[in-house]
Amino acid sequence: MAIEHWMMFGTFAEQRHFVYPDRTTYQGTILNGNMVAHAPDGLAAFLLEKTAGLSYIIDPMTHAFQHHPRFVSDSDGKPKSSIQALAEQYGSLLTDIVGKRPLVPRDLRDSVALNDLVKNCLAFQSEKLSQVMASRDAMKYLDNANVQLKPAALVAPYFYMTETSYRDWLPICVNAAQQARKLFPTSRLFTSVVVNQGLLLNDDALESVSTQLSGLDVDGYLLWIDNLDEQRAGSSVLNQVLMLSRALRKNKSRPVINLHGGYFSILAAGALGDEAFSGVTHGPEFGEFRSVIPVGGGIPIARYYLPQLHARVRYRDMVRILGATGWRESAAIFHSNVCDCLECKETINGNIQNFLEFGRGNVRGVRRSGGMVRIEYPTAEAKMHCLRHYLQRKRIEYQFAATASKEQLLENLQNGFKQLEEVVGLDGVSHLQLWQDVLNPVAHA
Amino acid sequence: MIENKESVFVRELSASLRKQGFHVRTEVSNMGQSADLVATRGRWVTIIEAKLGDWKRAIAQCRAHEHIADYICIALGSVSVSDRLRDTASELGYGVIHYNRSVKRFDWVLRPKLNRAVWRPQRKYWANMVRKQNYGN
Repeated sequence: MAIEHWMMFGTFAEQRHFVYPDRTTYQGTILNGNMVAHAPDGLAAFLLEKTAGLSYIIDPMTHAFQHHPRFVSDSDGKPKSSIQALAEQYGSLLTDIVGKRPLVPRDLRDSVALNDLVKNCLAFQSEKLSQVMASRDAMKYLDNANVQLKPAALVAPYFYMTETSYRDWLPICVNAAQQARKLFPTSRLFTSVVVNQGLLLNDDALESVSTQLSGLDVDGYLLWIDNLDEQRAGSSVLNQVLMLSRALRKNKSRPVINLHGGYFSILAAGALGDEAFSGVTHGPEFGEFRSVIPVGGGIPIARYYLPQLHARVRYRDMVRILGATGWRESAAIFHSNVCDCLECKETINGNIQNFLEFGRGNVRGVRRSGGMVRIEYPTAEAKMHCLRHYLQRKRIEYQFAATASKEQLLENLQNGFKQLEEVVGLDGVSHLQLWQDVLNPVAHA
Repeated sequence: MIENKESVFVRELSASLRKQGFHVRTEVSNMGQSADLVATRGRWVTIIEAKLGDWKRAIAQCRAHEHIADYICIALGSVSVSDRLRDTASELGYGVIHYNRSVKRFDWVLRPKLNRAVWRPQRKYWANMVRKQNYGN
């Protein structure tokens, strides 16, 4: 059993990571529709020339239009150019309202309006990039058999549903998927299920969403739970996520790709979770959970992915953990206890003092209420070391979850808990115990 | 710019430490954080987090300084110093300095212990970085 390893495309600066650790690591990439509308040439070049034919799915991002315009506007109050470009692909319904007011269910109850949106949305996904790719010079030099011009699946228009809004949006989502099937009867068709955690905890809402969406004539699903941080989530939410995904999977007969997932999702996609997902997507760095309504960043800090915790740990905390465990006594001790991936070996290069390379920074002044403070920002090199180590570990995690026995997978979680409980405290390791309880409830019954 | 009370407190503490022969820098970066005061005398480095009230936050901030500082202290501008702070600081080896408002003086409540958790490579890296910065104070 293989677990599909997808990576979310964020920015063009991240292109090189889609062939790291190697070209075979990823099943494909998820592209945001607004980026496709805004920069089709760049994305076509990325798919053809940087990755030589990586599979892709375009997330149509139709939910972007249902939020208040300020969430999709720039500082001048005008719609972001990529959102405006996407609206133009989808037709007059959206170009008339983008930047002025949110799309509401009433706008789509008219079947003609919905039909237009579905037709334009799917045609955009089917043709936009494939046409640009087909016209590029690089096509002359590539083996056509290996090049995926068309997306791996088309995604019906979808909308974000909460426990208070699902009664209005669910019929629209269902109708959109049904229209999409009629208009594109032979295409591989997915729909997106994007819900908040409150909906998962409301039995009636979950039942409605699960029953109606799993009954659709579609070939698969993208699943996105708003801002679901697996390391902080409670067992109720995690159990309901699995329940929803298994209902959509229909006895594993259909793929469900978790759009933003970490190690819990990877485990759930393997034997330990009885393949609750067919695949899991993460970003090159910050994509293991994400808010549907975008929120701002904060000051970036270097984080090292600690394999035992399956979590990214601040560099300063990592130095403390290494000191408390004795794992920074030598390079050999570090590699045998923490990580022996290629990036760690090359960076540490036989001298544990080089672990510093994961935490180097440049100091810049930042204005705060009390005056200027100096904050250290990670250097580009430090960020790159952390990122490449993270991508190495992710590949290992997908392979381990797909091939190890249930006992080995549980033992790995238990070992992390035991090794680090007294170092980082119970709160720092309790997610490992919770994941065992959720994924292997029999053992704890 | 209008100075807030905490920055006035830091300024007064800096002046007091300088009188005692320390070389003082304020707002010094360390691993993504900013230390309120770094006081050096000879080869010894003391890092001080100054707070008018929230000493628990100061304790949390001090954790990262354990990798680089020989001595770690919390300076408090509150009316009194709680027993809980005294106990926590004592357990961690941190010093506590209290500002006595009535006589406008900084008093040692607890002297810090020598921190033996310094990671020398990190200390060396940090010291080099601090030297490169143009700390006007």
